[in-house]
Amino acid sequence: MIELYHIWKQYQRPHWALSDITLKIEKGDFCFVTGPSGSGKTTLLKIIFRESFPTQGQIIIDNRNILKIPNHKIYLLRRKMGIVFQDFRLLFHKKVFDNVAIVLNILGTPRKKVRRRVFNALRMVNLHNKMWEYPSHLSYGEQQRVAIARAVVNNPDIILADEPTGNLDTELAFEIMSLFKEINRQGTTVIICTHDRELIRNFGQKILFLYKGKLLRKESL
Amino acid sequence: MAIVFFLEKDIPEDNITVIEEQLKQSDLVLKTKYISTEKAREIFQEKFPDLIAIVKNLDINPFPPSFEATLKENSITSNKVSGFIDMMQNTAGVEDVQYNQDWVERIKSFSRLAKAIGFFLGGILILASFLIISNVIKLNVFSRKDEIEILQLSGGTNMFIRIPFLAEGTILGLLGGVLSLFMLFVLIRILPIYLGSSLGVFSELISFRYLSFSQCGGVITGGAVIGFIGSLSSLSRFLKPKNIN
Ligand SMILES: Nc1ncnc2c1ncn2[C@@H]1O[C@H](COP(=O)(O)OP(=O)(O)OP(=O)(O)O)[C@@H](O)[C@H]1O
Ligand SMILES: [Mg+2]
Repeated sequence: MIELYHIWKQYQRPHWALSDITLKIEKGDFCFVTGPSGSGKTTLLKIIFRESFPTQGQIIIDNRNILKIPNHKIYLLRRKMGIVFQDFRLLFHKKVFDNVAIVLNILGTPRKKVRRRVFNALRMVNLHNKMWEYPSHLSYGEQQRVAIARAVVNNPDIILADEPTGNLDTELAFEIMSLFKEINRQGTTVIICTHDRELIRNFGQKILFLYKGKLLRKESL
Repeated sequence: MAIVFFLEKDIPEDNITVIEEQLKQSDLVLKTKYISTEKAREIFQEKFPDLIAIVKNLDINPFPPSFEATLKENSITSNKVSGFIDMMQNTAGVEDVQYNQDWVERIKSFSRLAKAIGFFLGGILILASFLIISNVIKLNVFSRKDEIEILQLSGGTNMFIRIPFLAEGTILGLLGGVLSLFMLFVLIRILPIYLGSSLGVFSELISFRYLSFSQCGGVITGGAVIGFIGSLSSLSRFLKPKNIN
């Protein structure tokens, strides 16, 4: 369960990237965050996985105030999460396989298991045939799917996906959403930032509208 | 270096023999030469022909007999020299000792200076290698900061992220140590060939020698430690999360 209490975030005066956000995301939720460009969606996610600290406010995840977790323990929080970054953050000097395997190697997963799970994750996003390519040889949409595979490979408790279908055609976007939905059915909390009204209409359960850093509406369908 | 022992003018023959024996027995002495009163006068005459008139006008021969002892090269720096001189001075029949104390002192201070320079250079080199290694690692860390970032965001512990860099720094330091030992070895081999003959006495002072086995181990371990600490110091700044953003 993710709870945000009166979160304010300012990068530069006088603009507030987030202002007074209070919300609760239950375990097992399938949740969309939407709003115009620059409304603070990415900032909200960054605060949840503590890449970024709020200027004010508190965040509780699984009954722990994550702002109070010391730096050397933060890896425990991150291991619960699978993150799809808006800018992918793939390593271009490593093959697709190794990009995805990173998440498992960190945990000291045995080689064989790594191979199997990376293959499965890549097959879910229909990229298993490009496993030994370098990301630079892939299209934007394919790179995005590598990023998605990396986020789901470890069966995380929480998936944070920032515009995960931004570069995909409608058909593929629906496929990816179905994948997230399937993962969600197994108990994983999924939070997706998107502009895509079509997707929200078809998959939305809980929708958070951000506008200029303010939480405008919370909607449950 | 030579030391001259002046004897009493009317010294009995027996005493001369005793002194000569004493000189020859010392392991500092290479060879000795007895210079009689007459011989001394001749030498003087040869060296200063203009002044011989003064000497001739004297009723007595002003030159005392003496022993000239040449010391072995490697005994010059020995601290036994002053003890030896003292002992000889107290021997019956020896009136005065002349030697160039200055020179002995100068050589001693020269070797002290050489040691100080050695330590100074050593310190600078250690510092330089520390800085070089930590900068190499810093560049490396910088060029791989995307990877470090994704490792951190995926839940890699700081230790997990550090290990490859620490290993790299340590190996760099280790190789540096081995390389420097190799270069020292080559230098010790080659340098005396060029300098050996011209150094003369100094080659003893500088005393080229290989490091002992444990010293070699020390150099390599030291290199590894420098590499380890160097990479640790350049990592610590990088692994801190950016709390500002
Ligand atoms: N690192 C930063 N430094 C300064 N300002 C920032 C930084 N990151 C974001 N901002 C600002 O904060 C605001 C919210 O940015 P954010 O990236 O959260 O928007 P977003 O909703 O994700 O937009 P988009 O849909 O385009 O991805 C924007 O006005 C942006 O300019
Ligand atoms: Mg964004």
